[in-house]
Amino acid sequence: MATATAAGTQVPKAGPPKAPKRTFRPRTLVIAVSAWALAAIFLAPYLEMIITALRPKEELRDRTYLPQNLDWANFVDVWKESDLGNNLQVTLMVAGGATLVVLLVSLPAAYYTARVRYRGRKFFLLLVLVTQMFQPTALLVGLYREFHQLDMLNSVWTLIICNSAFNLAFAVWILTAYISSIPKELEEAAMVDGTSRFGAMVKVTLPLALPGVVTAVIFTFITSWNEFVMGLTLTTEPDKQPLTVGINNFIGNYTVQWNYLFAASVVAIVPVIILFAVIEKHVVSGLTAGSVK
Amino acid sequence: MNRRAVAVGAATLAMALGVTACGGDSGGGDSKTIKLVAADYGDKASNASKIYWKDVAKDFEKSNKGYKVDVQVINWNEIDKSVKNMIQAGNQPDLLQTGGYADKVADDLLYKADDVLSAKTRKNLIPSFAEAGEVDGTQYGIPWVSSSRVLFYNKKVYEKAGIKSPPKTWDELAEAAKKIKSSKAADTPYALPLGPEETQGETMMWELGNGGGYTDDGGKYTLDSKQNVETFEWLKKNLVKPGLTYSNPASTDRKTAFADFAAGKVGMLNGHPSLIQMAKDGKVDYGVTTIPGKDGPLKSTLGVADWMMAFKDGGADKEGVKKFLDFTYSKKMLKFDEMYNLMPVTQDTLEEMQGNGKHKDLEPLFKELPNAKFYPLGDPAWDVVSAEMKKTGGKAATEDPKKVLGDLQKKAEEAAKSK
Amino acid sequence: MSLKAPPSPAPGRGRAGGGPRRPTSRRSGLARLGPLPWIAPVILLILAVVVWPVIELIRTSFLNISIAGIVRGNAGSDKYKKLFEETDFASVLLWTVLWTVVVVSVTMLLSLALAQLFNQRFPGRRITRWALIAPWAASVLMTAIGFKWMLNQTAGVLNTVMLDLGIIDKSRDWLGSPGTAWPWMMAVAIFVSLPFTTYTLLAGLQTIPHDVYEAATIDGAGSWQTYTGITLPMLRPAFLVGVVINLINVFNSFPIIWAMTQGGPGYDTSTSMVFMYKLKETDIGESAAMSVVNFAMVVVLVLIFLKVSRWNEED
Repeated sequence: MATATAAGTQVPKAGPPKAPKRTFRPRTLVIAVSAWALAAIFLAPYLEMIITALRPKEELRDRTYLPQNLDWANFVDVWKESDLGNNLQVTLMVAGGATLVVLLVSLPAAYYTARVRYRGRKFFLLLVLVTQMFQPTALLVGLYREFHQLDMLNSVWTLIICNSAFNLAFAVWILTAYISSIPKELEEAAMVDGTSRFGAMVKVTLPLALPGVVTAVIFTFITSWNEFVMGLTLTTEPDKQPLTVGINNFIGNYTVQWNYLFAASVVAIVPVIILFAVIEKHVVSGLTAGSVK
Repeated sequence: MNRRAVAVGAATLAMALGVTACGGDSGGGDSKTIKLVAADYGDKASNASKIYWKDVAKDFEKSNKGYKVDVQVINWNEIDKSVKNMIQAGNQPDLLQTGGYADKVADDLLYKADDVLSAKTRKNLIPSFAEAGEVDGTQYGIPWVSSSRVLFYNKKVYEKAGIKSPPKTWDELAEAAKKIKSSKAADTPYALPLGPEETQGETMMWELGNGGGYTDDGGKYTLDSKQNVETFEWLKKNLVKPGLTYSNPASTDRKTAFADFAAGKVGMLNGHPSLIQMAKDGKVDYGVTTIPGKDGPLKSTLGVADWMMAFKDGGADKEGVKKFLDFTYSKKMLKFDEMYNLMPVTQDTLEEMQGNGKHKDLEPLFKELPNAKFYPLGDPAWDVVSAEMKKTGGKAATEDPKKVLGDLQKKAEEAAKSK
Repeated sequence: MSLKAPPSPAPGRGRAGGGPRRPTSRRSGLARLGPLPWIAPVILLILAVVVWPVIELIRTSFLNISIAGIVRGNAGSDKYKKLFEETDFASVLLWTVLWTVVVVSVTMLLSLALAQLFNQRFPGRRITRWALIAPWAASVLMTAIGFKWMLNQTAGVLNTVMLDLGIIDKSRDWLGSPGTAWPWMMAVAIFVSLPFTTYTLLAGLQTIPHDVYEAATIDGAGSWQTYTGITLPMLRPAFLVGVVINLINVFNSFPIIWAMTQGGPGYDTSTSMVFMYKLKETDIGESAAMSVVNFAMVVVLVLIFLKVSRWNEED
């Protein structure tokens, strides 16, 4: 679709593009129009969710683009009529907890692996890579049986641990790559001065690795926030389930309450989209770090 | 919280050392704690079954000092899976209220109904339901709620299409559907939901109309009998091909059909009591009649019951379970039935509901109840057979019925062999 | 995330936890333990949440478990035999391959174009890039449910749009039959895969040094020549990352199909992952056997890619 010219592929500087002073060239116009059209396509499904969330029950099965009346009460009802409040709390705890655990566990491992050539380093990286290849869907029965034996079903901790484990691989990998790209002379100097390796990591390397850390954090948070399959299997009590499972419960036995379902979905999606939008430029720089080497 | 964290740490450590945790078998709690797992019949927080059971538990605990009832209510979509997981992990409840029981009998997990019901409670059960709870002549399943199936039709649609009276035979039904289609009175003249949600229900309602069904008198599966194959050939030729129903019945769920009917977009369909409230909410003026058969209305329609059952290894003492069941069945039946507009399984509640004038809507369905036919619920293989039907049975209406039903029959025979 | 192992520190410096020129006498107890304190938590978590369930699964696939969930003894290889004899087994595998290949390749192609587009300078670039993120940020499950609703025969907005545009003459049940359900589900899978892939490629584009292009312009290369001669080869690492991550995600994908068709009618729209989940309803042992087969396929996938990327070669 778009072909590159030398001018067009200039490495963009981070930050909002400066308003061009020249008048638009036709080519820029074509690009802008197609990009805007694509953006619309990408947002359309979510817009339709918002519209459906505002549809009164009677208009749910009407073939209209917009409802005649907007039923804002759906958003209120959905809070009253479900465990959404609890679900939201569970999801916040799980996503937050998993992010914290992943960070605490993966940062030292990634740092050490990036800096030191130890026996079993290859094996460790392979283990991490292989873990990355597995997703919880395939392991459901095993997961359930394990956590039942530990008597830890319906527990936020279980979800935190599981989400941490399945997000670890990516974090270790990206952090190892990122830290490898940071010159080690600085921390070596610190260590000569008597700082321990751990101290050097925290004081010297960590601040420099911040973009990589941000990427890992965001990825873990969002994946855990959106996780569905493990939540579905490892929790059975409605008030202990994460948001995704709670929303799925709107698909009931006799009816699907589409308006409530999407009202709840909007509640679940909006914070993440905002979060993502805020850190958009870190996403690119983090991914860049990951794939340079 | 802290203890959990320690437990996690310990467990992880144990794992690392290669120690395998042994399967917990305690069932949790002492013999005075009755653990009840039940399905959620509600569709929102305000009518969740949890509310009902919490109330039952509270009242029971008040009049039976020392007992505690631990209630867990699970969504219908999840309950079978959850229960299976509980059993597999050796963590059985004392009481379970769900859709089927016979598979648990096969594993010898349940008390006989006699063991956990007083004679009075037992006699109060409507006989046809009590019988449906039997496996090889012994009752294990205790009926909980019931429903019978009838044909619902949209009066306005009928009027617009010029249909004078509801159909009594298949041909009349097809004729009426054609009229609805040609007059454009409704998007879907007849809603045929053969999707995974209730394949086994819609299938049986049609097969009964041709003298077919799931088993012969000896209890052997006859899923691909001549009558059954004929039934699907008729459906395919007279409803599906001419476009008188959904174009993909095999993937259309009952809830879609119900929602469409409640939105006035369906001319007629087979339904059960829940549809009454939905139709009212949707302001649809509906009528009900006995489901048509090939040559005349069904003599016995499909009856569906949900079940209560008591596990031997739940951990609570049998007397407590018995007390709780007697309490619930004698004092709390009506409340549940009225809460969800379902039909009772005990004689006194049936009399009460027929007599108190609050349930005129249910009259035609009550009428069908005594003669209702059931799934082969007492067969331990039925759960597998029904699950297989849900997966592939609907395809009989669009593909080769003989092949689809033949495959199912093979699976059923296999399941019956290994039960 | 690179396919190659992150580069090792140069040999001879920092062996076994000791810093260079670090006096041995000052080594703390922590350092003497070597890598363990640093990497043990990661390994423990992986053992507990990934390895343990895998072992449990393999064990289950050799057991005879009744539908109620009671273990009735050893099944030997019966469950595998039963699985391979399923009428739909072959077609499910075929569709799994087709699903994975189509979704991944279309995703990669579209992402190349999208990355190129969004790498240009134009007014509103930030906002449009932000919009591109939406399917990534939203849960896959919710997006899939959203599409199911939009494709609803009675009231779905996509049906309405197509009716109004005259593409179809009457509202259709797109998800009801496999012929139309597959393309739609693939479209949704591509839709949710695009953001991550595009961003990975965008990141790759940023690593291409500016002067390479200047040199090309001086040499008089055209746009297309520049793209195929310079951009594409230099994008290779990012592209490979995209391919691998997508292969894994798409092969393992469950919520899209589960939310949209539940793999039906029958097993006509099931991938092996959905097939496994549906088998769970009738035979846990057989379902575990399917899991093991899935597991094996993922392992093969991993091995192939380790080989393709020559993971073992040091720099």
